[in-house]
Amino acid sequence: MDATARLIELLGVDRVRTEPIDRMVYAKDSGVTAGEPAIVVLPETTAEVAAVVRIAAAFDMPIVARGAGTGLAGGAVACPGALLVVLTRMNQIVMVDEVGRTALVGPGLINLDLSHALVGRNLHFAPDPSSQQASTIGGNAATNAGGPHCLAEGSTVAHVLGVEVVSADGEILMLGGAAPDPPGYDLRGLMVGSEGTLGIVTQLLVRLTENPPQTVTMLIAFDDINDAARTGSDIIGAGLVPAALEMMDHEMIVAIENFVSAGLPVEADAVLLAEVVGHADGVAEEAGVIRSIAVRNRATDVRVASDEDERALLWKGRKSAFGAIAQAAPDYYLNDTVVPRTRFVDVLGEIYAIADRYGIRLMNVFHAGDGNLHPLVSYDASQPGMTDIVVEAAHEMVCVAVAAGGTLSGEHGIGLEKRDLMDQVFTDVDLDAQARISQAFDPARRMNPGKVLPDGARCFDRPSS
Amino acid sequence: MFRSAELVTALRSVTRELFERLRDETVDADAAYVVAPASIEEAAAVLAAAADAGIPTTFRGGGNRRQTGAPAAADLIVTTTRLASIIDWRPDDLTVIVGAGLPVDDLESEIAERSQTAVLPETAAGSTIGGVLAAGASGYRRLRYGPTRDRVLQVRMATGYGKVVTGGSPVVKSSTGYGMARLVTGSLGSLGLIGEVTLKLWSRPLAVSTVRVDDAAAAYRRTYRPLAVLETPDGASLYLGGSANQVAAQAVAIGGRASPNLAWPEPITDPVRVEMRVPAACVEEAIRWVQRIGATRWIAQHGVGIVSAGIDALDVAGVGAARAWAESVSGALVVLAGADDRIDPWGTPPPSIEIQRRIKAAFDPAGICNPSILPGRL
Amino acid sequence: MAWVTDWAPTADELNSCIDCGLCLPACPTFRLTGDESASPRGRIAAMRAVAGGRAPLDGRFAEIMDLCLQCRACETACPSLVPFGRMMEGARGEVAAHRPDAPTIGRRVLFGRLIGSRVLVALASAAVGLAQRAGLASVGSGPLRKAAALRPIPIPVPTAAGREWLPDGTPIGTVALLSGCVMDAWYSQTHIAVIQVLRTAGYRVVAPPNQTCCGALAAHEGAVYDAARLAERNAEAFEGYDRIVVDSAGCSAHMKGYRHWADGGAKVADRVVDANEFVAQLLTEGLLPVIEGDVPIGIQDPCHLRHAQRIVEAPRAILGAAGCVPIEIDPAGMCCGAAGAYQLTHPDVSDQLGRIKADQIAGAGVAVVASPNPGCEMQLRAHVPPDVEVVHPIEVYWDKIK
Repeated sequence: MDATARLIELLGVDRVRTEPIDRMVYAKDSGVTAGEPAIVVLPETTAEVAAVVRIAAAFDMPIVARGAGTGLAGGAVACPGALLVVLTRMNQIVMVDEVGRTALVGPGLINLDLSHALVGRNLHFAPDPSSQQASTIGGNAATNAGGPHCLAEGSTVAHVLGVEVVSADGEILMLGGAAPDPPGYDLRGLMVGSEGTLGIVTQLLVRLTENPPQTVTMLIAFDDINDAARTGSDIIGAGLVPAALEMMDHEMIVAIENFVSAGLPVEADAVLLAEVVGHADGVAEEAGVIRSIAVRNRATDVRVASDEDERALLWKGRKSAFGAIAQAAPDYYLNDTVVPRTRFVDVLGEIYAIADRYGIRLMNVFHAGDGNLHPLVSYDASQPGMTDIVVEAAHEMVCVAVAAGGTLSGEHGIGLEKRDLMDQVFTDVDLDAQARISQAFDPARRMNPGKVLPDGARCFDRPSS
Repeated sequence: MFRSAELVTALRSVTRELFERLRDETVDADAAYVVAPASIEEAAAVLAAAADAGIPTTFRGGGNRRQTGAPAAADLIVTTTRLASIIDWRPDDLTVIVGAGLPVDDLESEIAERSQTAVLPETAAGSTIGGVLAAGASGYRRLRYGPTRDRVLQVRMATGYGKVVTGGSPVVKSSTGYGMARLVTGSLGSLGLIGEVTLKLWSRPLAVSTVRVDDAAAAYRRTYRPLAVLETPDGASLYLGGSANQVAAQAVAIGGRASPNLAWPEPITDPVRVEMRVPAACVEEAIRWVQRIGATRWIAQHGVGIVSAGIDALDVAGVGAARAWAESVSGALVVLAGADDRIDPWGTPPPSIEIQRRIKAAFDPAGICNPSILPGRL
Repeated sequence: MAWVTDWAPTADELNSCIDCGLCLPACPTFRLTGDESASPRGRIAAMRAVAGGRAPLDGRFAEIMDLCLQCRACETACPSLVPFGRMMEGARGEVAAHRPDAPTIGRRVLFGRLIGSRVLVALASAAVGLAQRAGLASVGSGPLRKAAALRPIPIPVPTAAGREWLPDGTPIGTVALLSGCVMDAWYSQTHIAVIQVLRTAGYRVVAPPNQTCCGALAAHEGAVYDAARLAERNAEAFEGYDRIVVDSAGCSAHMKGYRHWADGGAKVADRVVDANEFVAQLLTEGLLPVIEGDVPIGIQDPCHLRHAQRIVEAPRAILGAAGCVPIEIDPAGMCCGAAGAYQLTHPDVSDQLGRIKADQIAGAGVAVVASPNPGCEMQLRAHVPPDVEVVHPIEVYWDKIK
């Protein structure tokens, strides 16, 4: 019996896909890379995932896990011959503990669906990647996703207390849990951000965050993007860490406004979207500090969202930014570098200079508060030579960020797309150490091979012990 | 396993010069050699030599947590006394790079100039940053700011196979490769020596307050994000931080006697110390358990799930029962000090023990770094 | 391979999606299945595969296209403004062209050919009406059960086409009314309410005689040539009217897209107004009375009103003017599963969605639900308990002011 037959025996014919067009449908995430899986399966339970992994092992097939496919770095893009394990059906909210402020959820649960389910309990799930209306919590954990509010709340890893994992040999393990500091290595902390290369997460115990008693959301407009950048930098320099501090440039504002009609200042060169949360007294003071820093940096307008609807609309706009770029051109290239906040203004200037030099169109939308830049080149790949120009320019932008003491990815992950840039930030010895980790979890290199680490990362033979 | 004479021979034959040059006479310890490398590269060279010769090695910062995990005796101690500087403090980025041997208090007092904090343990006299990280220890303020490991951005370490490895990224947010910094935090020196770390900082709140309360759990439920909620045999306190108006308003809303400082409890220094680590919702029951095993001093962290306790003498049966309960609620009871042959410091090894073993083997193939310090005697 | 019809998804349309996936949670079939091939993005990927010659236009492609409800909720979710509904109609047209003998042929003939014939629709409707009277529907299943959820069909079947209604005073203007295919036969009360409300506001209402079915159902089924023929005929029939009022959301949405279907289509499209939109506007202009009241009433948005036309406030405003307080039952505006003929062609998916909607209605605790679209009304009635009433906002309003 071949792998397909075994899988059909396990899952039924409807949850095993091998038709060419189905494999093409599952060939991409939201990023720029593609690869067709050999077989697509849609398991519904941890036991099914474990059985699927064992079948893959028996037939020596590589395994790639996938959630909603909203990743931007190709982490869930199939490698040749892969068995693609789609986890969207494992989307249950198994348990909510209001006292301990935790929830046990399936990896296929959509991020925002969890917070929606918590309405009325004064709790929410804090990680809010811009894709949160579509992306799954399993996917968020795989990439250690960020989002605007990770500035103050931390990335996904700070909100995943425990994970149930199917290991590369098909064993079911619980890593971490509701109790703090479990003895032994923090394998949970390794699993988060490992992009499916260490195992398949089949359940997550996540931390829930108390809703703030008060929220002030401010939209601050500037005539010069440098003033906006300096404002962002100055706010952090003042020791203030707002709940969120986002920046969008002119082109991005226009595209977003076409979609949401939120009354964004389409004439502005850049806007900052700042949010402060907390106790009413504290919030008022922090908002005052932000306003005065903005005014000192020549802000032209400071608008405070008057109610929850307006606030929601402003955030909807911000979180639609990436999706809106196709309004400008059919293709794009997106970076996700992070730089120290002290270098943020310079690096932004250099990035615009690179775009000018290459004559390419740049749209910028990013997390100013944590120095996470998302310069987005939109272009038409059908123009001859254009793709090469864009890739070259985008790589130059990465180099600028790394030279400023930054890193490759703040929240999208490395996946396939940035894998071969890893040597920009890590030495061969560093990469070898990371390869040792993946080998410890997955000696047969079956889980999402070819992601995160470049080929040949394992450059030192391990002495036998 | 080498001891004394054999060890000296081995050292001579391999790396005598190196060890002599780095020798640290200031540390009084029962080991053949104590060395204090002045760089991570030197530490890596020492570990490479120790691995070649199969010399059991331990690491020493402030020496406060020597008993954690009840490690096997070591013939070589590598100290971080010469890796003890602030390498780069970027106050406008809210980050700092420090040598692992820097005492926590030194860092905190330096960055207090700009009213910043690394949110490291508050009552860690003499502890070094490397030691705190290796132990995976957090301060009481983790309730508000999260555990220490969430603020360890990057680690430079000398591995058990004698290489200098950088893990993590030097910026406040990263999804670039595996969470090496998270792995190393709490690894108890079993993978190598932490030499240098980049930490994320927070601004200190403009105002603080300690409010005595009768019912810690109830007060916590009513208060938005206190810094900590602690309960000891002397009573319970909420620790508040924020703007002056906010702290004042919160203190009034809670009721109870307020003092305008953070009055942390005295650290527990009893010869036998245990720590219950349980889901936050189980703290009150954990308090009852530590009382039952004869704890005279204990500090419970509400909202976190840790109850640290000092006991006069190890009651093996009692600790065993308390541990059985803690493990039944998916927690643990850890004997931090005073463990002996009758009781394992960690309890039942985690189900992932095989993967843990392989990680240990990958980073410490010769098995020389703090042997048997981990759960499962890894 | 190449597309063969003029309506196939264009390269620009296919390029306008950047695969961000924000549409996925808005898609009812993705919600039910978690399957990329049942999502808008997956369907576009399938269209691209066929358009690019990488995959054949085979039975599996047809199946992927056929599962779509065409609710267009993905369009509301799409920041890149991808015209998904249009593309899906085109893709189905291609399926029809390439696979004329596909199992969906029956639907194409029904909705492309027969429905344009007033006589045939009347005959078929009369048959259903007789079945209702005979009590057959209440014991049946599937389509028969749906028939039970229909309003009682009058026999003989009425038609509005060719008639005209004058207001009491001097008309302030003239509007044309789409009499429609099944609306005319099965929902004459809705027509009456709309006509009477417009008369009350001072309008002369004309239902031009030569008009026919709008072609929405044909377009949805991929009967593209029939859809074009019907659109052409209506473009002629509605020539000369400044405003065309359409009281079925599916029809108004489709006619607003006539630019894709007929040479003179753009001209008609710009003059089409959904009845809800128009009545709400008349209320704003003060041409209609407002009744005070606080009767709670659930509101269910037809997809082709909310998503295809982005009309959300209008039916709420009309209910408000009828002395009702609209209660939201579904902030996401998920399809109820009616989706025109879909409830007959995909009863499983349709029933699952209908049950979700019924649960939402139960959760909102309302005794009456207003839905300004006939298909949704039928679907809701088939799924809510008998003590929950399903009504049309304009009928509610007319009932209050008459």
